[in-house]
Amino acid sequence: MTAMSRDPVTIGRGGPSRAIFAVFLLCTTLSACGDRQSTLNVAGEDAAAIATLFWVMLAGAVVLWLGMNGLFFYLSRVAPGAFPDRLVRPLLIGGGIVLPTVILATLLVWSLTMLPDQRAPDDGLRVKVTGEQWWWRVEYWPKGAEAPVVTANEIRLPVGSRTGFELDAHKVIHSFWIPALGGKMDMFPGRTTYVSLRPEKTGTFRGQCAEFCGASHAWMAFETVVLPPDDFEAWLAAEARDATPPEGDAARRGAALFAAEGCGACHTVRGTEAVGQVGPDLTHVGSRLTLGAGRIGATLDDFAAWVEHTGALKPEVKMPAYDHLSDGQLADLAAYLKGLE
Amino acid sequence: MTETRATRSGIPAAEGTYPPTEAMLAEPVPAELQRAQAERLRAAWAAPKGWRYWSAVNNTEVGVWYCMTAFVFMLMAGIMALIIRLQLAVPENDLISADRFNQLFTMHGSAMMFLFSVPLFEAISILLLPGLLGARDMPFPRLSAYGYWCFLIGGVFVIGSIFFDVAPRSGWFMYPPLATKDEGMGSDIWLLGLSFIEVASIAAAVELIVGTLKCRPPGMRVNVMPLYAWYVLVVGGMILFAFPPLIAGDFLFELERSFDWPFFDPERGGDPMLWQHLFWIFGHPEVYIIFLPSIAIAAMIIPTVARRPIVGYSWIVLSAVGTGFLSFGLWVHHMFATGLPSISLGFFSAASEAVVIPTGIQLFAFLATLMLGKVRVTLPMLWITGALAIFTMGGLTGVMLALAPFDFQAHDSYFVVAHLHYTLFGGMIFPVVAGVYYFFPFFRKKLLSERLGRWSFWLTFSGFNLCFLPMHLTGLFGMPRRIYAYPAGLGWDGLNMISTVGAFVIAAGFAVLAWDIVRPKGRQPQIPRNPWDAGTLEWSHDVPGESWGVRSIPHVTTRYPLWDQPGMLARMDSGRYYLPDAEEGRRETLLTSVIDAEPVQVQRVTGPTWITHLAAFFTGGAFIFPTFHWYPPAIVSGILAVACIIWWLWRDTARPPEDETKDVGLGLRLPTYASGPASAGWWAIWITMLGDATAFASVIFGFFFYWTARPDFPPDGAAHADGTLVALACAGFALSWAMTIGARELNRRGAVGAARLGLGLGPLLAIAASAALLGSVWTLAPTSHVYPAILWAIAVWVVAHSIVAVIMQAYCLAGSIFGKLTPRYDADLWNSTLFWHFHALAALVACAVLGLAPRLL
Amino acid sequence: MTDRHTPEKDSAEFAAEAGSLWRITFAPATWAGHFLLCYTLFATGCAKGWPVGTVRHGLIGMSVLALAVIALIGWRAYAQWSPRSTGRIVNPRGDAEDRHHFLGHAGFLLAVISFIGVVFVTLPLLLLEGCR
Repeated sequence: MTAMSRDPVTIGRGGPSRAIFAVFLLCTTLSACGDRQSTLNVAGEDAAAIATLFWVMLAGAVVLWLGMNGLFFYLSRVAPGAFPDRLVRPLLIGGGIVLPTVILATLLVWSLTMLPDQRAPDDGLRVKVTGEQWWWRVEYWPKGAEAPVVTANEIRLPVGSRTGFELDAHKVIHSFWIPALGGKMDMFPGRTTYVSLRPEKTGTFRGQCAEFCGASHAWMAFETVVLPPDDFEAWLAAEARDATPPEGDAARRGAALFAAEGCGACHTVRGTEAVGQVGPDLTHVGSRLTLGAGRIGATLDDFAAWVEHTGALKPEVKMPAYDHLSDGQLADLAAYLKGLE
Repeated sequence: MTETRATRSGIPAAEGTYPPTEAMLAEPVPAELQRAQAERLRAAWAAPKGWRYWSAVNNTEVGVWYCMTAFVFMLMAGIMALIIRLQLAVPENDLISADRFNQLFTMHGSAMMFLFSVPLFEAISILLLPGLLGARDMPFPRLSAYGYWCFLIGGVFVIGSIFFDVAPRSGWFMYPPLATKDEGMGSDIWLLGLSFIEVASIAAAVELIVGTLKCRPPGMRVNVMPLYAWYVLVVGGMILFAFPPLIAGDFLFELERSFDWPFFDPERGGDPMLWQHLFWIFGHPEVYIIFLPSIAIAAMIIPTVARRPIVGYSWIVLSAVGTGFLSFGLWVHHMFATGLPSISLGFFSAASEAVVIPTGIQLFAFLATLMLGKVRVTLPMLWITGALAIFTMGGLTGVMLALAPFDFQAHDSYFVVAHLHYTLFGGMIFPVVAGVYYFFPFFRKKLLSERLGRWSFWLTFSGFNLCFLPMHLTGLFGMPRRIYAYPAGLGWDGLNMISTVGAFVIAAGFAVLAWDIVRPKGRQPQIPRNPWDAGTLEWSHDVPGESWGVRSIPHVTTRYPLWDQPGMLARMDSGRYYLPDAEEGRRETLLTSVIDAEPVQVQRVTGPTWITHLAAFFTGGAFIFPTFHWYPPAIVSGILAVACIIWWLWRDTARPPEDETKDVGLGLRLPTYASGPASAGWWAIWITMLGDATAFASVIFGFFFYWTARPDFPPDGAAHADGTLVALACAGFALSWAMTIGARELNRRGAVGAARLGLGLGPLLAIAASAALLGSVWTLAPTSHVYPAILWAIAVWVVAHSIVAVIMQAYCLAGSIFGKLTPRYDADLWNSTLFWHFHALAALVACAVLGLAPRLL
Repeated sequence: MTDRHTPEKDSAEFAAEAGSLWRITFAPATWAGHFLLCYTLFATGCAKGWPVGTVRHGLIGMSVLALAVIALIGWRAYAQWSPRSTGRIVNPRGDAEDRHHFLGHAGFLLAVISFIGVVFVTLPLLLLEGCR
C-alpha cells in the first residue's frame, strides 16, 4: 500500500496575530496538538474560537475534578470526621446549586454568543458539497457565477475570507468536517444545510466524513488546501478550464484505454467524450493530492494501484476493480490520469 | 380518593385496629403456632424442584436469571469491544473486514444498551425491590417471568445474528436512509428483536411502579421509603415516556422496510430527521434510565458504609425527580450538527446544562454523608469511590459537549466515545459492581472474595483510564467515531494502541470479577444475617434463605428500620406482624395505600407455571418471523400468544374469592378482592396505557412534523381520507366506548342482562368502526408518498388497538356468562373500561387528524 | 394511639395531600411546558415563515409568566415545609406531619430547580435571534 504523500504546501504565516495563537504555536511546536486533522492545531477563525472555549473549560474541569475528589479523599481517608455538621447545608446549597448555576450560566452565555459567528454569511465564495457514498462532489460558485466549477474530493480555499458551504447528500447522511478550520455540519439527502469557514493560515488540512455512512465510512476524506487569495484565483481559473490532453505515448495509450474500458460512463473529463455523472469528475485529477477521496496519495503508482484494487482499498466501492488490465496497461492509464492537471 | 370505590361494589372495607399498638406487638406468638405457620408458608412459597425449577416465578429466582442473562450479554458485548479495539490498535489494519467491524460496533452499542443496561435495572429491581419493601414478591410474578422469557428469546435472537454474519450494521442509532436502504435482514433483526425486548421492558416497568406504589409494608409512608424505591418510581415513569417514541419510530421504520411506505425517504416526501427526533427522545432519557438506578444502588450502599442515615434525603428525591423531567429536554444535543436554527440549539443546550444541577446535588449529598459518617473501606465502598472519580470526569466533559459550538467539533469524534464511556462506567458499571459485592450476600448468602475484589477493582479502574482517557485526545485530534481503519501519520497511532492495551486490562478486571461470581463457594462459611450491619429491610431476610421473602410483613415507621426499630427483627421472625400464615396454602401479599401505605387488601399472587413460557415463545414468533418476511406464521404465532395470555388471565387472575375478607394478624381484617382504582391491576392498566398513549402521540407527532418540515405535505391535489367513513368510524368508536361504560355501571347495579347486551353490541360496533376507518384510507396508495402512508399508519395503529379492545369486551362478556365476573366482582370490567377510555380517546384523535387536519391545514 | 381503620380515612388523607402531590409535579411540568412551547413554536415559525421576532418576544413574555408561576408554587411549597415555624428542616419520621412537611420540602426544591431551568432556557431567547 502506498503511503500518503506528505503535504506539498508548507504551512505559512498568514492570519492575525491574536494572543491566543501564541498558545497554539507553543502547542504546535511541542507537537502535542495533533496533526493536519486536529481541532487543536488551529488554522481558522471558527476553530480558534472553539479551541479557546475548550482550553478554558479544560482548566476549569481540572480544578473542579481535583477539588471534588480531593475534598472527598481528604475527609474520608486522611481526616475522617473532620467535617462539621453545620457545613452540610452550605455544601449542598453552595456546591449543589449556587456554584454550578453560576458556572453553567456563564458558559452558556459565552457559547450562545459564539453561535451566530459559526454560521456567518460568506464573503463572496460559495461551495456546494454533496456527500456521495463515499466521496465528495464539489462545486465552486464564485460571486456572480452562472455555472459552477465542478471538481471532487478536494477543497481549495482562499485564506482570510469566509467561504460558505451549501451541503447536501445523495443517498445517505454524511457530515462535513475540517477540524483545523471549524465545526462539522451534517449533510442530508433532500435538505440543504449551511456552514461557513474562515481559514487564517495557509496549508493543507485533512477533512473527513463524521457521520456513519456505510461500509467505507472510514475512507471518506478529503484534503483542504488553503491558498493565498491570488493563488486561489489562479487555481480556480485553471480548474474551470477543460482538460488538456496529456503529452507522451503512454498517456495517449492511456486515453484510448480510458475510452475503451468505458470509464466515461461514470466519470467526466471535460473536453473529452467522457461525461458520466456517477463518479467523481476527473478533469483535473492529476493535480489532486489524493485518490479515492483521501484513500491514498496521487503518484503514478497510486493511480495504477487504485484502478487495479478499488474494492480492496475501499470496501463496497461502486467502481469495479480493473484487475484484468496488465501492468503495462495500468501504467498507461496512470500516465493519462496523472497527466490531467 | 382511590380507595372509596372499593366499597361501592359492596365488598366490605378493611376493619380492625391500625396502626398496631405496642401491647399487641409485644404479645408473644406461641412456639407451636410459629412452627406450623412457617411450614405452611414455606410450602406455599417453595420454588419447584428438578426440571420444574424453570417454571418458577418467585422474584428471587427470576431476578437472578434476569441478572445473570444480562451479565452474559454484557460479557458478549464486551468481547465485541475487544475485537473492535484489536482492529483499531494499528493504522491500516485488516484484521477484520469493514462489514464485520460495522456489525460489531452496532451490536456492541445495541447489546450494551438494550440487552444489558436497561434489563439489568429491571433485573436488579425485581430481585431487590420486594426485599427493600418487606414484600413477599412483586405484585404480578408471572408478568416478571413472562418479561424474562421474552428478554431471553429476543436477546438470543438479536445477539445471535452476529454469529451468522447477518447482524445489523447501521449503528445502534439506525439512522435512515442508511438503515432503511440496507440490504439483508440486519435492520429488521434490530427493529423487531429490540421492539420485542422493549415491550418486555415496559411490562417490567409497569410492574415495578405498581410494586412501589402498592406493595410497601404498612406504615412506610412516602417520606420513609428507601431511596431506591423513589428511583424505581422515577425511572419506571421515564421508561413509560421514553420507550414509546422509539416503539412508534420502530413501527414506522418497519412499515418502510417491509412495505415500502416512505416515512424516511426524502424522494417521496419522507424525512430522515423524524427518526432522529423519535430516536433521541428515547435515547437521551435512556442514558438517565441507566444512570439513575445505579445511583440508587449507591444511595443504598453509602449510608451502610458511612454508618449513618443519608444526608439530604429530600434533596436526593428532588434531584431524581428533577433529573427525570429535565432529561426529556436534552434530545437535540445529539443533533447539534444537523443544521437546526441556532435558537433551537440554544434551548437544548440550556436544558442540557440545567440537568447538571440535580445530578451534582446527588453527588454532593453522597459526599456529605460519607464525610459526616465513619466510613468503612469495604469492597463496595472502593467501587463507589472509583465510580465517583470516573463519573465526575464524564460529567465535566458532558458540560463541555452540551455547549453547541464545542459539540460542532467534538460531535461524532472519539471525544464523545470517551465521554459516554466515562459517564456509563462511572454512572453505571462501577456502582452496579459495587452493588454486586454489596448484595451478593443478600441473594447467595455467601461473600465474594476481598482479595479478588481488590484485584478486579484496580485492573478495571486502571484499564479503564488507560483505555478511555487517551480517547479524549484522539477525538480532539480529529478521529471520527465508527471508522474501521485509519491512515497512519495523523497523530492517532500511539493513542489508539494505548487504548487497546487498556481495553484488555479492563477485560482482565472483568474476568476476575466473573470468576469470583461463578467460582464454587461450597466450603465457604455462611454469612451472618446482616453482614454489612445495614439499616434497610432487605437485610432482614433469613439465612439460609427462605423463598417467602419475609416471615411476616412488618409495620415500618422509620427510614432505617433495622437500626431504628429495635426488636423488629425478632417480631418479624416470630410471625408477630402481618400475614404470618398461609392457611389456604396460597401465595398472598399485602396491598397498601399509595401515600401512607395503610393496608387495604390481601392479594393472591400467582405461582409457578409454564404458560408464561408458551406466551413468551409465541410472542417471540410474532416478532421474529417477520424478519424473514414469513407473515402467515407470524400471525398464527401472534394469535397463539394472545390465546395463552387470555388462558393465563382467565384461570388465575381476578377470580371471585372464597372469603370476602381475611384476618391478616394484629387484629386487622382486609378484603381479598378489589376492583377499580383500589386494585393493583387497575393501576397496571393505567400505567401501561400512559405509555401506549405516548407511543400514539409520537405517531401523531410524526404527522405534524411532516407538516412543519416538508413543504409538500400534504402534496397539492392529494387524495384525502374519505370524510364520511371517518365520521362513521368516529361515531362507532364513541358508541362502543359508551356501551362499555354503560355495561360497567349496569353490571354494578345488578342489571346483568343489560350489561351483557352492551358487552355484546360493543365489539360489533368497534369492528364496524374499524372497518370504516380502514375503508376511509383504502383507496390511498401508501407507497406513493408519505402523506397517504402516515394516514394509513394511524389507521393501522387504531385498528390494531381495536382488536385488543374487542377481545377485552368479549372477555368480560364471557366472564359474566361463566360466573367469573359478577356485579360484586367486576375488576375485569373496570380494567377493560379503563383501556377503552384511552382507546376511544386515541380513536377520536385519529379520526380528527384523518378527517379534519388536511382540510384545516 | 389506636383508631378505626376505614377507607373514608384513607381518602381523606389522599385529599389532604392531593395539593402537595400536584405541587411537586407542577413546577417541573411548568418548565416542561415552557420548554416545549419554546421549541415547537420556534421550529414551526421558522419552517412556516412566521414573524419570528414576534414569536421571540411572545416567548420571553411566556418565560416571565412561567417564572412567576414557579415562584408561586415554590412559595406555597415552602409554606408547607415550614422549616421556620417548626424549626425542623428534615422530616424523617413516619408520621402524617412529617410526610406533609417532606412533600413541601421536595416541592420547594423542585421549584428552585425548575426556576433555574426556565432561566437557562430563556437565555437563548435573549441572546439570539433569527432562524439561522
